Amino acid sequence: MPETPTEPMTNSPRSVSDRTSSVGAFGLLSEPARRWVERQGWTSLRDVQERAIPAILAGGDVVVSARTAAGKTEAAFLPLLTKVEGDAAGFRIVCVSPLKALINDQANRLEGLAEACGHPLHRWHGDVSASAKRRARENPSGVVLITPESLEAILLRQGVHARPLFAGLQAVVVDELHAFIGTERGIHLQSLLTRVEAIAGRDRIDRIGLSATLGDMALAADCLRPGDGPSVRLVEGRDAGNVVKVQIRGYVRPTRVPEDAIASSRHAPGASPREDGSDPAFEAVVSDLGRILRGRTNLLFAGSRRNVEAYADALTTACGSAGVPNEFFAHHGNLSRAHREEVETRLRDDPRPSTAVATTTLELGIDIGDVAAVAQIGPGSSVSSLRQRLGRSGRRPGTSAELRIFVIEDEDGPAAHPIDRLKLGLIQSMATVDCMLGGWCEPPPAAGLHLSTLVHQTLALIVQTGGISAKAAWAILCGRGPFRSVDRVRYAALLRCMHEARSPLVEQAPGGQLMLGPGGERLASGHDFYAVFVTPEEYRVVHGGQTLGTLPLDRITLPGQTMIFVGRRWRVLEVDADARVILVEPTSAAMPPRFDGSAGPLHDHVVAEMRRILSGGDVPTYLDQTARSMLEGARHAYRELGLEAASVVEVGTGVVLVPWVGTRKLDTLAAALVAMQHKPAARRHFVEVDGCDTVRIRRTLARIAGGDHPSDAALASAVPSPAIAKYDGWLSPDLMRAVVISERLETASLRETASRVLASGTDHEPGDTPHRAGTET
Amino acid sequence: MNTKPTMKARERDAIVAALRAGVVPRLGLQHIQVGRQREVASLISDIDRIAGGGSTCRFVIGEFGAGKTFFLFLVRQIALQRKLVVMQADLGPDRRIHATGGQARGLFAELTRGAATRTMPEGNALRSIVETFIQQTEEAASGRPIEEAIKARLADVREMVGGYDFANVVAAYARGYEAGDAGLQDAALRWLRGEYATRTDARAELGVRAIIDDATFYDGLRLHARLARLAGFGGLLVCLDELVNLYKLQSVQARKQNYEQILRILNDSLQGTTEGIGFVLGGTPEFLLDTRRGLYSYEALQSRLAANSFATGGLVDLSGPVIRLQNLSPEELYHLLERVRSVFAGGDSDRHLVPDEALQAFMEHCRSKIGDAYFRTPRSSVRAFADLLAVIEQNPGTADWRELLGSVDVSAETAIDSDGTSMADAGDSDGADDELATFRL
Repeated sequence: MPETPTEPMTNSPRSVSDRTSSVGAFGLLSEPARRWVERQGWTSLRDVQERAIPAILAGGDVVVSARTAAGKTEAAFLPLLTKVEGDAAGFRIVCVSPLKALINDQANRLEGLAEACGHPLHRWHGDVSASAKRRARENPSGVVLITPESLEAILLRQGVHARPLFAGLQAVVVDELHAFIGTERGIHLQSLLTRVEAIAGRDRIDRIGLSATLGDMALAADCLRPGDGPSVRLVEGRDAGNVVKVQIRGYVRPTRVPEDAIASSRHAPGASPREDGSDPAFEAVVSDLGRILRGRTNLLFAGSRRNVEAYADALTTACGSAGVPNEFFAHHGNLSRAHREEVETRLRDDPRPSTAVATTTLELGIDIGDVAAVAQIGPGSSVSSLRQRLGRSGRRPGTSAELRIFVIEDEDGPAAHPIDRLKLGLIQSMATVDCMLGGWCEPPPAAGLHLSTLVHQTLALIVQTGGISAKAAWAILCGRGPFRSVDRVRYAALLRCMHEARSPLVEQAPGGQLMLGPGGERLASGHDFYAVFVTPEEYRVVHGGQTLGTLPLDRITLPGQTMIFVGRRWRVLEVDADARVILVEPTSAAMPPRFDGSAGPLHDHVVAEMRRILSGGDVPTYLDQTARSMLEGARHAYRELGLEAASVVEVGTGVVLVPWVGTRKLDTLAAALVAMQHKPAARRHFVEVDGCDTVRIRRTLARIAGGDHPSDAALASAVPSPAIAKYDGWLSPDLMRAVVISERLETASLRETASRVLASGTDHEPGDTPHRAGTET
Repeated sequence: MNTKPTMKARERDAIVAALRAGVVPRLGLQHIQVGRQREVASLISDIDRIAGGGSTCRFVIGEFGAGKTFFLFLVRQIALQRKLVVMQADLGPDRRIHATGGQARGLFAELTRGAATRTMPEGNALRSIVETFIQQTEEAASGRPIEEAIKARLADVREMVGGYDFANVVAAYARGYEAGDAGLQDAALRWLRGEYATRTDARAELGVRAIIDDATFYDGLRLHARLARLAGFGGLLVCLDELVNLYKLQSVQARKQNYEQILRILNDSLQGTTEGIGFVLGGTPEFLLDTRRGLYSYEALQSRLAANSFATGGLVDLSGPVIRLQNLSPEELYHLLERVRSVFAGGDSDRHLVPDEALQAFMEHCRSKIGDAYFRTPRSSVRAFADLLAVIEQNPGTADWRELLGSVDVSAETAIDSDGTSMADAGDSDGADDELATFRL
């Protein structure tokens, strides 16, 4: 198959260069560290190590970036272990890593080095035995490798006794820093590091971030030291890392036939099978997956639970009929914990080849760090998630990271929705891959409130301190910590709302200290309290008392919107966040555009990249033959629909608006249109407005562009607020609105988005015939 | 006023220093004790009961600064006078009655380290208690091997929970005592103080299979009480202060387990199944009354500790297990200020720093400053008054109490912040109008 190394094969391990050039950094290391380097048989230090050693020895915060397997870990630990002085009690270096598997891996790599330098090395995560942890706790010293959740557990369980553990801390290393940027888990980690500094009684403890190379390293710096990114020094290694191999494979699904959706809803994955019930595209994908993945250890991200079940089942059946042992195992949130762990153990420890078929939503929960290849159905959600997925393969020196994206698109047909002709799934996949290869990464939403995580951290701080005043809690979490957008007034409101819950989360001692209320005690004693990331609950889609299926809802869904589910078009009647139910009724319409089940908001940058791909002409080498012809067709359709110039396309009884902006701006526009008496449906890349023509929609857009649109608060209250983050459910409507305004909508962009749609259509006179594109011959 | 004996300079300085720091002096309590006669009387009857081989359990409940600690110290002094062994300790985040992480053992160690007798009122009396016991046994042994004699005398101790090893350790101490083996003696004392963290160590050094750990907190104290009586003391009084720390525990489970231990202690004393041991537990009203996290959250304790419903409107019932420290009346507070003035003067009424009218004026000043609360919580008033006197004393002639009184600052009593780490200071630079500083849910 035509795989395209994006890098030439330059990965000769530990390339030999003249020794003299390395004397600089090498000479700075301590005697035992130098001896260890020599024992490894290295003849020189690598570029990233040369640069990082003096920077880290000088003290202060440092971000070290380089490709996978370029020796980042040693680049951080050689100087750190050189630097650790004296016999102060307590852990000297804490290294936080996102996955247990990575910790185990790193422990093997670092054990010799740490031992040579006379420091014990402790692993500390959920699978480490209690007695090993107790030994480390009773005689804290050396290096500890830990997950954020275990660090939280130490602070919670040890309380005041955690101080001696961290009092002598010299540096904190954050491994895979890029994985934490802009996520709730990243906020959690930042808050944990602040709490560790506070408990150690220090203003700052040096933080060393190890990151993949990003286009904008300032993001990593800000993530490492929130509020003071510019003080962080950046060290970029130029070594060639492992080769990255990416391929996008296209599959064409023959023309769909409208059918009774309810009857077929129990059928294949997000698909509309042909009348005989078969889906050739699905079968082709399954057959290729089986051929490519079998015989090695892999991860397959298949999207929703239904897809996971369908693919795992089809692959297992294929193994059975070929008479070979099954290697494919489903892994999603509905399966029992024991079953999931069994799958993980098999991938990690069993020499037999196996592939886990996983949902998008449980991505963080899969603790598998090193596989041969990663495969993915559909475009996936974000660039950073794609980077992380890719990063799970090719971790060993000399191997390559492999990622294959399987995209199924519908054949162009007379009944197809015109937007489907743009093959947006393929285009988005390409845009995501291009962004990733360009080192781009989603920045965290500016001024995000992260109130859900703040609820968690407030409870955690109460448990840790055994009661703390509101003022001191604010000072740590919001004053020093990552929740800088939360001022005192809002924090007080948050505490009140935590108190006024049906089962209060907090209560107050007569002296003013905050303490856990009955609800807080229940939350804090749960086993899942240590983690802030969560599997989004799937919503049941219900029509007339009948459940049609489930859907992960992590985007704003408005009553009155139409949505596509199990191959039919529905109007949303009600969204019940408590019962996690979406009530729908069928709505008549032409063939709907296909619903893209993949989750997560798209960033403006990715959408802009998609437009660049559609209007460009070059054909990347990572596409297979089918995908290339799809791309060609999509570019043809793009020109034919006039999207180069216009952003409004009339389709059937309505119009489609394509402003080429990301999800938050798109959702904001849709919310404004709802508030202004339209019937819009925000899709992944565009807004569809039913029962409307170009003239009318342009009039509305002109009003918005002129500033005559609903207020922030009106927009936010028009939007039902599904609890997306773990403790969103505890927030009051007022606070939830604030979260929606700050994190999910982008009201400031509304006028600009509307103007964009209008401006790109100026070629046409207002009365001009719009592009008719409903049918094609 | 001049009828009182002149006090020693050492006592005077200790009291003045303690009052100005807002803590209870260890010495000379009688010089500043006012009021609360009935409460003291009921505790004295408790002490007599313990000395007579009985058992008691009392909860001393009062607001922050109401004088709980003072009261406990007073009781302690009386108990020492009556030849009891007294162990006293404050509860804290790392010292509880029940725990699984060594906190109960920590409290036990704190208690036994501070064991005090009349001749050793400062604590550290455990060694002398054990040696008294051994000497007495030796005298009565009339030639029998000491170890054998000790085991014979401890026969009934061996029948008690955990008593077998306890007796063996005491015997080991005697062995070391006889042989002049300081190492063995120290090991035995360490065992008796609950300082062994693991059975392995105890076994290696003393040859016993068990240690005093988190689970045997109360049983260990009972054994000590028995030993004290065998050594000729009246019994053991255990004073635990700051029980509000149990109320502040953030886990239901942990609170419940601690309350279970308290229930056990209370049951034993009410039923009289233990011998020669008494408990005095000091805490704030919310520790007792809060039905969600206080003692009242534990059904069995609530029914045992409920106030006598007839003791209302000034009537009191001091025979129940709970003693609510009554407020000082304004007259009593006046009396207290008099006492403080007298302490400053070393008991000599000719050397009083301020005239009587200054006491009245001071009380008036306090009332206008913080309202009637000032005589409910004597601590802050007394501290302010002691500060005032200190200034006048050091600036004879130049300082006039009338001028100074206006600048005396008395603050309302607040709970001591347990988050007194560097965290608490982090936001202190902000203005007083900060909503969170006075945050109320």
